[in-house]
Amino acid sequence: MSAALSAHATAATIAAAVRARDVSALAVTEAALERIARTHDRFNAFTTITAERARAEAAAVDAALAAGRDPGPLAGVPYAVKDLFDLAGTVTWAGSKILRENPPATRDATAVARLRAAGAVCVGAVNMGEFAYDFVTENAHAGATLNPHDLKRSAGGSSGGSGAAVAGGLVPLSLGTDTNGSIRVPASFCGLWGLKPTYGRLSRAGAFPFVASLDHIGPFARSVADLALAYDTMQGPDALDPACTTRAPELASPLLHAGVAGLRIGVLGGYFSTGGDPAVHAAVERVATALGAIRRLELPVVECARAAAFVITASEGGCLHMERLRTRAADFDPAARDRLLAGAMLPAAWYAQAQKFRAWWREQIQLVFRDVDVVLAPATPVPATALGQETMMVGGREMLVRPNLGMFTQPISFVGLPVVAAPLQAAAGPLPVAVQLIGAPWAEASILRVARHLEQTGVCASVAVPLS
Amino acid sequence: MILNDSDLVRTLARLHDAYEEAIVANDVPTLTTFFWDSPQVVRYGVAEQLYGADAVSMYRQGYSPYYTDRRIVRREISTFGTDFATVMSEMEMVIDGQERTSRQSQTWVLIPELGWRIVAAHVSNPILRANVLSNWGAYIDHVAPALGLPVAAAHRPGVVGNLERTAAIAAPLLAFTLPDDMDPAFVFTA
Repeated sequence: MSAALSAHATAATIAAAVRARDVSALAVTEAALERIARTHDRFNAFTTITAERARAEAAAVDAALAAGRDPGPLAGVPYAVKDLFDLAGTVTWAGSKILRENPPATRDATAVARLRAAGAVCVGAVNMGEFAYDFVTENAHAGATLNPHDLKRSAGGSSGGSGAAVAGGLVPLSLGTDTNGSIRVPASFCGLWGLKPTYGRLSRAGAFPFVASLDHIGPFARSVADLALAYDTMQGPDALDPACTTRAPELASPLLHAGVAGLRIGVLGGYFSTGGDPAVHAAVERVATALGAIRRLELPVVECARAAAFVITASEGGCLHMERLRTRAADFDPAARDRLLAGAMLPAAWYAQAQKFRAWWREQIQLVFRDVDVVLAPATPVPATALGQETMMVGGREMLVRPNLGMFTQPISFVGLPVVAAPLQAAAGPLPVAVQLIGAPWAEASILRVARHLEQTGVCASVAVPLS
Repeated sequence: MILNDSDLVRTLARLHDAYEEAIVANDVPTLTTFFWDSPQVVRYGVAEQLYGADAVSMYRQGYSPYYTDRRIVRREISTFGTDFATVMSEMEMVIDGQERTSRQSQTWVLIPELGWRIVAAHVSNPILRANVLSNWGAYIDHVAPALGLPVAAAHRPGVVGNLERTAAIAAPLLAFTLPDDMDPAFVFTA
């Protein structure tokens, strides 16, 4: 059997085998569809399986190869998208019950269209927390997505299906979104590489919004090369997303193996070095030691940054859903509904203060990146929490799980910094955790270089859970 | 039955003072002895339900205080006969730089040959001092109709809770002084 058909195959392995015609894109697609069908009851990762679309896309790749045309760098690579990316002909649910009544999308989201143009094959949409206001993917309508590393635990959220689908070996690649941590939290819980690029780097057009000021899209993968390849494929300006940059693409893949020489790497102290399980801080220390990062930095008034992200999220989220809250409140997931209702009523002055503070804090962060290129911080305060778990012990304090899983991610995305979530085994047990590799704005290539170095030296790794 | 015998009330006040001192010092052995050593003892905490003396003791051993400047601001002691009493108290403390308030209910019984012991207790979640006279319920009742945003009675407590939590989290942001000429970071290009 071709290695490209294995549940552990990376996107790069699959694309190389398909392009060399060692295996057909259709055979790779059928193998992925079979894995998805076989494990559906175990992970509850997929909400829609687009088998017909996948077979057509795979056949198009095979036909291009037969005709001597280049099908693209992701030829025949199966991938899944968080159930808020538009797929032409499919209804986009965004984890809700209400949007299921919508007509099917008429066109693909920009990110999906770019992956398709590169030869990738979309096998379906995956579960998420309702309207992305969530860190655990315990969806009242579609059920909870289970963590492949431990089926009693959460896959993280809100892009939990995207995490479980890649960690479970169903697909090598998936797309998620991150407003306050929704890529980095599942990457940490599922032990995956995740990339939340700079705010505005990748087009969000055709992705159902949550908080326009803070929304990002990004990929999950089990190898850094796959993560960079997916990221590079999706770069480029897009008039359909007003926040999308007009900067020319800056490809990360060609620089991936340049090593870390010349990069100044520091560790975030203060807020980011306290208030978490010792295992997550130990993970940061292991990465810091491996990188020779001895410099400690503190960001000013981090609790205000988190507060401002919290207020902007509640307010813009409440505004987005105001009409549905008026007419369909009972049809929301209760976990999202009360937060959105409260958000819809926040005083305008709080929101304006939060947006002013964001401008101020961005200036402070720019000063920090004069002296350093990459900084390290934990991704989550704890490894994967149990499904249904309401509180967690953090630094001797009992805290609510749902609002606090993003305590280390939220202040970073608040000012749009690019982050790679780098997975490693937590020292204390069998579960993985991720460390945030945080770069200056637009420095994705640098943090991906660091990620590749950590992967190459064996410090960080993502392993698909063996499928039985 | 004699209600609020003055000697007994003074005894309970002294015991409660000593208990409070042990709480502030996180003196686990002393705290453990204040509770009735019985599987029937019950302590409801902010987030934990403890049944039996062993559960209470185990909780104490894993606990470290997360507040400072804790003080009792009101205490109501009632004694009933010679061997039964309730001690209800309001306390204030500082958590993450914010003044918060909490409540504690204790039931004390004079256990033969042992002395006064707490047989049941309950502590409430410390809420922001500024929200003690929670204005958020009234806020919702006025703002929601003005916005044409009905809030069902069943959803109201959850919305109040979220507004309280947001207010607590936003407090340092709202107290933070920014330059007057700081433009908000909206994404808009004309």
